[in-house]
Amino acid sequence: MASDEKKAEILKGLHDSVVEYEEEKTVEVANEAVAEGLDAFEAIMGGLAKGMETVGDLYVRQEYFVPELLLCADALYAGLEVLKPHLKAESHAEPRKIILGVVEGDIHDIGKNLVKVMFDAAGWQVFDLGADVKIERFAEEQKKCGAQVVGLSALMTTSMLAIPRIIKTLRDSDSTVRVLVGGAPLNPDIAASYGADGYADNAGEAVEQAMKMLQQA
Amino acid sequence: MSNSDRAEALLRGDKVDRVPLYHFLLGFCARNVGYTTVDMYNNAEKSFQAQLWTFEQYGIDGGPDYGYASYGGWEFGGEIKMPEGEWQQAPSHVNFPVNTEEDLAALAMPDVKTAGSLPLAMEFSKLQQKHGKPITVTLGGNFSVAGNICPPSTLCRWMLKKPDAAHRILQIASDHILDVVRYWSDTFGAENVIPNLWEPMAANDIISPKQFEKFALPYIKETNEKMLGMGIKHILYHICGEQNANMPLWAQIPMGDPGMVTFGHQVKLSTAIEYFGDSCIILGNVLPALIQTGTPQQVYDASRDCILEAKDAPRGFMLMPGCELPPMSPFFNVYMMKKAIEDFGYYG
Repeated sequence: MASDEKKAEILKGLHDSVVEYEEEKTVEVANEAVAEGLDAFEAIMGGLAKGMETVGDLYVRQEYFVPELLLCADALYAGLEVLKPHLKAESHAEPRKIILGVVEGDIHDIGKNLVKVMFDAAGWQVFDLGADVKIERFAEEQKKCGAQVVGLSALMTTSMLAIPRIIKTLRDSDSTVRVLVGGAPLNPDIAASYGADGYADNAGEAVEQAMKMLQQA
Repeated sequence: MSNSDRAEALLRGDKVDRVPLYHFLLGFCARNVGYTTVDMYNNAEKSFQAQLWTFEQYGIDGGPDYGYASYGGWEFGGEIKMPEGEWQQAPSHVNFPVNTEEDLAALAMPDVKTAGSLPLAMEFSKLQQKHGKPITVTLGGNFSVAGNICPPSTLCRWMLKKPDAAHRILQIASDHILDVVRYWSDTFGAENVIPNLWEPMAANDIISPKQFEKFALPYIKETNEKMLGMGIKHILYHICGEQNANMPLWAQIPMGDPGMVTFGHQVKLSTAIEYFGDSCIILGNVLPALIQTGTPQQVYDASRDCILEAKDAPRGFMLMPGCELPPMSPFFNVYMMKKAIEDFGYYG
């Protein structure tokens, strides 16, 4: 079992290697965490996820942009790959669930992928439906997995018109599901007019918005 | 003044009677005249005809133009999909010609006479010539063409981890833009060709100003200098999306005399005038989503605000949406842009 000092050093190492988008270093420190007997859940949440939280802040402050986020995400997932097999079943509660997808007619998925990283890092179970997702599929998948939140992304002014229809099919299927939307042509007013429960201006804000929506539910 | 006279006068530096109206609106034209959106991208004759009719109906002064934002992938050997279904507005990528450094090393320069959409674009430009319209060739900006040859996420990763690969693909994109513009210049005379370049991927929505300075600015600047060196008189650049922090860098890029620079709603027209007013005609920037989802009064008010903010720009101003007009825009909302010009756009 690692000493408190060693544990702190490893958690900081995981945090820093994600923030500095050092994929190999992240794997190295994650392996060290396993070798030192650190609880995998603690290493993920206290190291990798904390790092991604810092990355989100840097993005919101416009110190990081999409290239940095993509590489930080690569480091995060490399670390998760090492640590996840060591998670103990009882080490954390049932995760919150979110379905993510880019709406029908739209293939632009960078924004959605960055949002996925943030939810993964925050410990949510993410059901990623990809891009150009048919309208009905969101409700079908939500029924199957019981996600509390559905996140919809659109980059085009034309494809964003699919959003109110998706929200209607979701509400018809499960009136309790919360819908978060985002993407370049959207804004809080359009989101509200479409019946969404929340709007995130960028990936860094998405998790916070989702948490707010659930608290208001 | 006729619609054509008005746009040409502005380019010559002559006075115009009112603010001209400009649009890039292929999908909307299809809906307006009862064609399919695909017709606008794979049938030059129909695309040209639909635009001419729509331009006459709405009093549009510039254009028509042919092109799409995903330009580059198909031309370098990738696959695109024509728009289909209710929600797609333009061709989109199915796969990219470059995904790895090995793909990049093996990438061949396309034959501009046969590659991808270029034969259709040339057919369209011959119609522009036949009808006495400005001859335009629509391509991505250097960074966006590179980000259409490989996935944008790959270009982003390469910038930080494999900068040599990023520079290599940007050089290839730049050489290709020049090849295309040279072909158009040889065919129509450089002085008659207006390259129409769209640069959404270099926006600060994606890259930082520092990354723009290192990976976009040198290529765009050199390419524009070379185009102007060929005898091109005017370059139209759509500086798309959030570009405020890039503006001092964009201002270092020559656009012709005058150039034409168009902006999204993110960049204030007063800011555009500050950086480009002395050298370029300013175009913009009614929020496209507002034209699609707002009321006629909101579109009218937003158009009025744009006109009043920019109509006295030193080299002129043209009212247009901040990006392509959304195809599903209500017809009356589109008319309200013209009405705002009639009410507020006349000079002296």
